[in-house]
Amino acid sequence: MMIFSELYSAYYNAVADLLKKASVHPVSQQDIEQAVKKAAFSESYANILPAFRNGRWRVLRQDGTTLLDHTPTMPLTLLQKRWLKAISLDMRIRLFEDRMPEFPDVEPLFTPEDVAVFDRYADGDPYADVQYRKHFRLILNALDMKYPLEIEYTSGRGRYAHTVIMPQRLEYSEKDDKFRLIGREARRIGIINVGRILSMRPYAGRMKRKAAAKEPDRSDVVIEVHDERNALERVLMHFAHFEKEAEKIDEQHYRVRIRYDREDETEMVIRVLSFGPLVRVTEPEHFVDLIRDRLVRQKNCALT
Amino acid sequence: MAYSELIKNFSKIRDYMREFYLYGFKRRREYTQKSSRSYDNERRRMESILDGYMHFRTTQEGRSVFLSIDSRKVPHNPLYKAWKAKSFTDGDITLHFLLFDILHAPDIAMTIQEITEAVDGKLSEYEDVRCYDESTVRKKLKEYVAEGILTTEKQGKTVLYRRSADAQLPGRDTLDFFSETAPCGVIGSFLLDKEEERDSHFAFKHHYITSAMDSEILCSLFLAMREKREVTIETMRRREESVHALKVVPLQIMISVQSGRQYLMAAGLYHEKIRSFRLDNILSVTPGDVCQEFDSLRLTLDRMREHIWGVSTHSFSGEHMEHVEFTVRFGPTEKYILQRLEREKRCGKVEPLGEDMARFSADVYDASEMIPWIRTFICRITELHISNAQLEENFLRDIRAMQAMYGVEGGENA
Repeated sequence: MMIFSELYSAYYNAVADLLKKASVHPVSQQDIEQAVKKAAFSESYANILPAFRNGRWRVLRQDGTTLLDHTPTMPLTLLQKRWLKAISLDMRIRLFEDRMPEFPDVEPLFTPEDVAVFDRYADGDPYADVQYRKHFRLILNALDMKYPLEIEYTSGRGRYAHTVIMPQRLEYSEKDDKFRLIGREARRIGIINVGRILSMRPYAGRMKRKAAAKEPDRSDVVIEVHDERNALERVLMHFAHFEKEAEKIDEQHYRVRIRYDREDETEMVIRVLSFGPLVRVTEPEHFVDLIRDRLVRQKNCALT
Repeated sequence: MAYSELIKNFSKIRDYMREFYLYGFKRRREYTQKSSRSYDNERRRMESILDGYMHFRTTQEGRSVFLSIDSRKVPHNPLYKAWKAKSFTDGDITLHFLLFDILHAPDIAMTIQEITEAVDGKLSEYEDVRCYDESTVRKKLKEYVAEGILTTEKQGKTVLYRRSADAQLPGRDTLDFFSETAPCGVIGSFLLDKEEERDSHFAFKHHYITSAMDSEILCSLFLAMREKREVTIETMRRREESVHALKVVPLQIMISVQSGRQYLMAAGLYHEKIRSFRLDNILSVTPGDVCQEFDSLRLTLDRMREHIWGVSTHSFSGEHMEHVEFTVRFGPTEKYILQRLEREKRCGKVEPLGEDMARFSADVYDASEMIPWIRTFICRITELHISNAQLEENFLRDIRAMQAMYGVEGGENA
């Protein structure tokens, strides 16, 4: 039972897709190109086409018809069933499914006791709450069917708020263990914590105006890493989820440029601080000032 | 051997992916351990598999290749693609589709001889017919039975093969979400490949995708844990560039969502302590015997976790337990600091001290693991006491060094 198996390979998927088409009509070179582009990699076409042409893979004839009598399908592997059984034990599953496919004779690949996330924040969303689940499902439905929602919620500052929003996506943070609804309001891109929603319903009216979809504002911060105590690896791992670029300055120093969302600047500041003197921010100046300001304030705390 | 974009052995590409994704500043000549042809082949493979995510930088010192991915912008982990690049033979792929065409419904049951004849029949239109002999077919059938996609049953002395029953998949949203957030999520990605394409409704923040590279190791450890087996793990000591094999009892996987690292918590055999192993340093896992003490060892780990801040189970100071205590102050508009302490305290305790102060305390095996977190409160720490005096002194020295680094008066160079 291996993950790295040809049963899950992009080539098998591309060929299965192609054979499905061939069961309806003879496939053309263009069909092959499309199937490969959809399922496989950028150089795959150069391998798959000759394999059919030279008769090495004897499931498709030269004329584009197939010698198979049925549409190709493959049952779920034991590994896939065991993984599905494992996720059916995750408490978040009830956000999505009332009943998961049952595999009575199958052991889960892992259970909640086999895994511990040790640094997740403790105030995550209330997945067991019936109202929360109802809101979550309605958002998923609105995303599917593309309709706006009218929402009453408590803002980040603890105030009552009301909005009409066209959902674009649900964003999940593994660290915060929270979902946020991101969508287009009349004048701006709205971000609402699902856990703060008081009530919601499909919006009966027509949204006359929707803010243009736009990318979040991004900024670059440049840091210099002094590679002592394995700092380089720790820094690069820690900031791995960002778009970043690293270069070597000398044997012990490295420069790393990280692109982050401006809304997360305070979080970036404290993440940089966590590395202590092994990381120094070099630009932009306003970010350097944010770090310096904290160090000045720390000095005023008279910690000795 | 001629170049192929498909991969026979994942461990090679695992190393290169890690180098390109995490570091990305090395130049061709710096990949000294491997031959230049090997480097060129792996780089080309990655360019093909991770098309669109590979970037290049040319400087006076040469050209370097790196992988840059903002995981908030990608709904599906691109590194999963490498798991879908396993090499196979012409015979493998042909036989695969023929077998499932012959056994196209679960009510069809056939003997090996009947299946072999049916395969021959299907291929009879080719002049240079390639007959799969019975042993080749048997080997493939056996493999598929082990994978659970075929089942066997006995009718007298005859073994019959049939395809496993089809099963309904959960909803697309379920797979989109759990393939990114559950351990071994790549398996969810394999399931998504069976579905029609559709844009995912999800995006992921603080999303570490590097663990994808360790999926096989993680899976092997889960399989062993489910059966309460010992394992032999081969681990890499990167600094020494040496490989060590040791027998352990795998007890739990600990995951950090703030660094993307995954660890195996395991007990050494012969009464050694429970300790952690980074999954990305484990090269192989070989299952061994069932361990009778598995349940009691796991119970021990559960009890220990009350004093483990990260994954470390022993201090460098030699103390059995280290005490950490610090006080922070906050202004009238900064009550969120108290909330921060509460939600981030893990095994520690938080005690409000009036309206504008709070004290955090914890007893942990290794207080050094807490230092990066304590530093995030820089600007408001008024008191700090660590029973490991050296650690406390290092913390204060580091703050002075940081103050010097940023030109804050009174700072000291480290």
